[in-house]
Amino acid sequence: MEKIGIQLTGIIITTILAFTVGMFYGGLRRKIIARAQNRIGPPVWQNFLDLLKLQGKTTNITHGVMTHLAPVWVVVAAVTALLFIPVLHAGLWFDNFNFKGDLIFLLYIMVFGSLGMALGAGETGNPNSAIGVSRGLSLLVGYEIPFVLSLVAVMLQFHTTSLTDLMHYQQETGRWILLENPFAFLAALFSALGMFHYSPFDIIGAPAELASGPMSEFGGKYLGTLMTGGSIFAFVKLVLLTDIFLGGAGHPGTLTGIWAVLAGLGELIVKTFLLYMIPVSIGIVMPRFRTEQAVRFFWKWPLAFGILAIIWALYKRKYFS
Amino acid sequence: MDIYVALLILFGGALVAFFIDDLNRRWTGPVALAFALAAAVAFALTPEGQHLRLSILGFDLHWQQDSAARFFGWIVLGLTVLALIYSVKYMEGKARLGYFYAVFLMSAGGMLGVSVSRDLISFFVFWEIMTWTSFLLAIYNAYYGVETKGIKYIIFSSIGAYAMLTAIVMAGHYYHTYDLADLWQAGAFSFRSYWYIPASLMLGFAVKAAVVPFHVWAPDVYAKTPMSFTTVFSGAMSKMGVLGLLVVLTGLYAGGGDGMFWFRWILGWLGGITAVAGTLQAIRQNDAKYLLAYSSVAQLGYIVTALATGTRLGLMAALYLAVLHAAFKGALFMVAGAVEKQAGTTDFREISGLIKRMPWTFFVALVSVISLAGVPPLGGFVGKWLLYESLITETHSYFLVIVIFFSSTAAFLYAYRFLFGLFLGQAEEEIKQVKEASWWMLLPMLVLAAVSIVTGMYPGLIFKPAADVLAGWGLPVPDWHMSILLNRWGNQVDLVTVGSTVGVVFVLVAIYITLKGRKTTKWVSTKDISTSGEIPSPQDNLTFQRGFFKPFERAIGRLYDWDANGIWEDLGAALEAFFGFVRKIYTGNAQTYALYVIVFLVVLLIFARRIFG
Repeated sequence: MEKIGIQLTGIIITTILAFTVGMFYGGLRRKIIARAQNRIGPPVWQNFLDLLKLQGKTTNITHGVMTHLAPVWVVVAAVTALLFIPVLHAGLWFDNFNFKGDLIFLLYIMVFGSLGMALGAGETGNPNSAIGVSRGLSLLVGYEIPFVLSLVAVMLQFHTTSLTDLMHYQQETGRWILLENPFAFLAALFSALGMFHYSPFDIIGAPAELASGPMSEFGGKYLGTLMTGGSIFAFVKLVLLTDIFLGGAGHPGTLTGIWAVLAGLGELIVKTFLLYMIPVSIGIVMPRFRTEQAVRFFWKWPLAFGILAIIWALYKRKYFS
Repeated sequence: MDIYVALLILFGGALVAFFIDDLNRRWTGPVALAFALAAAVAFALTPEGQHLRLSILGFDLHWQQDSAARFFGWIVLGLTVLALIYSVKYMEGKARLGYFYAVFLMSAGGMLGVSVSRDLISFFVFWEIMTWTSFLLAIYNAYYGVETKGIKYIIFSSIGAYAMLTAIVMAGHYYHTYDLADLWQAGAFSFRSYWYIPASLMLGFAVKAAVVPFHVWAPDVYAKTPMSFTTVFSGAMSKMGVLGLLVVLTGLYAGGGDGMFWFRWILGWLGGITAVAGTLQAIRQNDAKYLLAYSSVAQLGYIVTALATGTRLGLMAALYLAVLHAAFKGALFMVAGAVEKQAGTTDFREISGLIKRMPWTFFVALVSVISLAGVPPLGGFVGKWLLYESLITETHSYFLVIVIFFSSTAAFLYAYRFLFGLFLGQAEEEIKQVKEASWWMLLPMLVLAAVSIVTGMYPGLIFKPAADVLAGWGLPVPDWHMSILLNRWGNQVDLVTVGSTVGVVFVLVAIYITLKGRKTTKWVSTKDISTSGEIPSPQDNLTFQRGFFKPFERAIGRLYDWDANGIWEDLGAALEAFFGFVRKIYTGNAQTYALYVIVFLVVLLIFARRIFG
């Protein structure tokens, strides 16, 4: 019973943490883009205010059951993925279900939300939404390929498909996989650009062309819930990359108890923030690709890096249990 | 109960169904269904391990109710029974029902016969029954172009059958037996001794499993056959090709595993290419039936690749996917049939927005499509996981896994297109009178959808019989658990945790979003949308269906120019040119022949001294 209590507390704490960090990162991005464009920009906590406003709206419009449930799918995918990713190394409240899912599972659960969102957007009957979905799915095929190549390279190099094992290896040896297999990191980083859907890969929402695409029919509580799911999901993606390539966060070192957790969280925030700045800063300066250009982009250099990563991994293969 | 009873019931039922149609057309369907049910009961009552040996015309036939027979037999009988329940309403009012049901039952008998045959002679006889009956059903709808599309199927099947027959005769000649167990023992399927025996057999099986480049018959035939039989056609009959490949693989293992290289790499890559080719074509289709037909080709590609690995997880993946593919693709073909029956067409460009008209059909389609796409927490994910893990951890085919992954990610595109095209999108005026399908049609669909749901949490229900099949034939068996997936490196996925997490979070958030502001939430029609400030009138057509994935097609680019049909057409043209040339020699004119004789004599005279010294 006590175990279940800890588990539940852990799940709630992890979700709240992911939500808060994700929302703040979103606000920071708005601020940074504004500064780059020589504007003052909204305050960092603007996303929270937006969320409050959206949840408080009295008119909510939906087009049917799938539209109604679309934000639910997004939240479910984000939270489920979050619970199966080790947020901190050996952190009491952040263990959740780390050992119970592997990388292949994570890859698949991460598209669960996009599919649900696509179904909901499809039911609205808005042609812009459908075009956005068509673009989004095409882009997915684009960036998943180098990402999978990079993951397969890491898996075969370290003989595990488990994220926990990868983190453990990096903590034990102190060598990040970023350095152990740099090509895999490059391929994954390129894929992450696509995953975040920021410029130049913002073809799905494409404000000027598609009137925010799949999102266009969502408002009020629906948009608010979508925002919540999206923020958690942004955090999930960052933590996933940090765990695989940057050694994760949280050292079982000299600090103990709450201080160890806080230090670990600090480390996590520094790492994820640095990672997050890559797609954000590229997004500031790049214009938008056309869909086929975006898809093809991933099949050129990122794909080449992915193949190099596999060759590198075969060369440097480490047998570790 | 003896092993032949189920077969006798099916073939006898075919006769009865054929003649009862003349008495009362309304009884044909239910009678055929009753016979199929009786056959299923007889099959269930046949004790495990029962043998039947017959000697006909000097051939020793051998049938056995082993775990493999049960496994594939249940795929066949289960789908047949469900498809016949579905047919009762689906085929209502169609012509030539006696013909349809008689051939249907014979086809099921053929497939069941293939499943229980343990010698090559009866295997081949049942195989041919299965092929011919399915051909007769493929041309049941007298559609435009039937003479070329149906014929393509029978030509490819014949080539496969001749190849098989050659292999069987050679096996009999070299090893003096047709019994599978003896042939396995003798190493008849080894690539070392007589490599053309397994190669020719595999050619025959590859045709049935629609492996590139022998797949060109499949899309047209799957799409044009009445949907109630396509369910069985794609769900069960293609699995007979898988069974055949499993027989060859068992022979390879019994022969010490030499030749695994050929099997693993050639067949594995052919499966991978099949998966990609089928997926890319499915993305382009504008008709739900063709989309599903190409998707079947692609899914069989996964199964063939999984089988080709020949490893523990890979074989498990192949058998698991065989069942799951039967479940979700069977359900999807039934969905396409239901839409065709209720709305008159399955062309995405003519129909959309059926979700409110056919909610139950949509539910089945949704579950089956998620399972097809391999997204957790439904059953399809387990198959995909096993396949990937076997390729990564067991055979180290790192590039093949990328090919498979590409095709299964691209499968999201056509999976979405299927749902969007038929059920989502703009609900135009024309579909207002469309009604939900009859419960006779919904019930089998819901049963098949339930398979996908249950196996998402408890795949062990299928692992157990599959492990029995592998153990029974001496193939490598993986460790399996009821709801935990384990790979060779000890990494796991706990499906109950996954399923319950998804379920609990889903319910919580769904309750929140439903209850919050419930009174003020407005449910509006698909015409009430934001289009740059303008309000579309009911007559405005806002449907987006044509060229849905055009950007993706542009990204793929030249790859779409490759067409396997072209290869065969070129081959046909080349053969025709060759025959034309031959006809110039054998003109049929006596004077020309006289000329040949004289020329020959002259040549002989000129070279006589050199030749005869």
